[in-house]
Amino acid sequence: MPNSIFIATQAIVVDTFREAFARKIFWGLFALSTLMIAFFLFILKIDIVQGATATITLFGAQTGANVDPGQVVRKTQAGIATFLYTWGMFLAVFASAGLIPSVLEPGRIELLLSKPVSRTHLLLGRYLGNVLVVGGNIAYLVIGIWTILGLKTGIWTMEFLIAIFTTMFLFAVLLSVVVLIGVLFESTALAVMIPTGLMLISPILAQVETMDRLLSSEWSRALWRTLYHCLPKVYDIGKMTMDLVMGAGVQSFTPVLTTAAVGAAVLSLAIHFFGRRDF
Amino acid sequence: MTAFAIETNGLGKTFRSFWSGREVRAVDGISLQVEKGTTYGLLGPNGAGKTTTVKMLLSAVHPTSGSAHIFGRNAALPEARRHIGYLPENHRFPTYLTGYGMLDFYGALSGMDAAARRRRIPELLAHVGHDDWAEVRLGKYSKGMLQRVVLAQSLMHDPQLLILDEPSDGVDPVGRRQIREILQSLEQRGVTIFVNSHLLAEVEAFCRDVAILHKGKIVLQGKVRDLTAGKGYRLSVAADIPEKLRQSLLTGAAAFAPRETFLDIQFHERSAANAAIDLLRAEHIEIEALTPTTSTLEDVFIRSVDAQ
Repeated sequence: MPNSIFIATQAIVVDTFREAFARKIFWGLFALSTLMIAFFLFILKIDIVQGATATITLFGAQTGANVDPGQVVRKTQAGIATFLYTWGMFLAVFASAGLIPSVLEPGRIELLLSKPVSRTHLLLGRYLGNVLVVGGNIAYLVIGIWTILGLKTGIWTMEFLIAIFTTMFLFAVLLSVVVLIGVLFESTALAVMIPTGLMLISPILAQVETMDRLLSSEWSRALWRTLYHCLPKVYDIGKMTMDLVMGAGVQSFTPVLTTAAVGAAVLSLAIHFFGRRDF
Repeated sequence: MTAFAIETNGLGKTFRSFWSGREVRAVDGISLQVEKGTTYGLLGPNGAGKTTTVKMLLSAVHPTSGSAHIFGRNAALPEARRHIGYLPENHRFPTYLTGYGMLDFYGALSGMDAAARRRRIPELLAHVGHDDWAEVRLGKYSKGMLQRVVLAQSLMHDPQLLILDEPSDGVDPVGRRQIREILQSLEQRGVTIFVNSHLLAEVEAFCRDVAILHKGKIVLQGKVRDLTAGKGYRLSVAADIPEKLRQSLLTGAAAFAPRETFLDIQFHERSAANAAIDLLRAEHIEIEALTPTTSTLEDVFIRSVDAQ
């Protein structure tokens, strides 16, 4: 029995990859990542002079002398992590949004459900496959840029690699929202809009202390705090990622824990509704 | 150990609109007992609840009342589906899959390991005549070819119960015969075959047992042999016989129907047919034909549905 569970899981994950290949999702993300790696390969030139000082050339222009190359590398990595965390995340959500509604199409889902695989297993297999498709590209991009920067500067900052895990973690949380929307409405458009909305609203909701001062009524402050705590903390985890890449410590892991709880709750709801639906 | 491949007790499904709350009772407490090793046909007009019944057996639709068991196991459990092969109606497959890839994927979902799948796929593709199409994407297949490869999919894990929803849909006569031969060979091996079809002649030729479903209820079920046993005689005469004679003939007839320039008169009893012949010969009217008849499944079906 455990063997057949493993075989079925592997089949669902491989099928998700096949579909991602066929829909050009995987190759699209891979091409963008490669383009970004190539971009860094050509624009960045750092010449180390006498240890800590260096001259740095970006786009052919020298940025100055006597700068700390370690800081420049960290700042570059932080910039890439920010780009990946925002635009990369948006692209990943956009690309993945159709992968759940596609399996729920009439004529396809009945046959999947006729197999000796539970609905939870089917949904989680698909979810895992989707995370791996995007995670593979995130890892490729981060490790690619990290290698180029390392080779060019001789500075190997392991903290940048943390961006792989934080970005994948946030994608996994947002994907649970995509899955829930897909199961409830089978709408690719909604499955893009809602996670994007969560990403956009997060920096605003994160201003809890400021809003506590600005909002006049107690109920509106309570509503703000509730929304902040109940929705994924995209902004806070992004800021935490920047701090880590820059070599600063983490003040609190609470945003990670609460966001993980939100993701788990949303995924559980998706499993619940998927289990109850008639096809 | 149960004697039934499929057993339902008061199985029912009511669909409820989320917004209006309006209810539609698609299946109304049906009880079926499908013996192991039999060939069973589920018949019914459009909207009778046949597909909903099949989907409840596969747990794709949740019943609102009653229960369904497959080989004695609750149909809601994934394990109950381990021995089922299913050929859906209006199937839609991802066009990125090849014939081989599709069989490999669904075989894996049925729990077959890679070595078993590698052995089984070429066998099945050859069996349905698609061995040259293994690496061609499903998007290039004709409807009939697709139907055959989907049938191969349903046979991947050597199921003990085959549930077929309109198996001949879109298949040409040659392909239809090929499918029938495959099903007959499975029947001989003791596989239970449950067919949901609107092709009455096909069901009559292939199935041993049938149930007729109408407005969500079973209106008739039994052995095809028993249901179609009603014998009789059909007498054909020219339609322009005198009216008085016509009335006399129809007195003892079970049914009559004009056909082109003839009148077909159906008699249940041989004595009634003989009496009608005597009447005709006394008036020197020629008999065009006298044919012994049996009741077809179509007759049984129409009578059952009309009676409701």
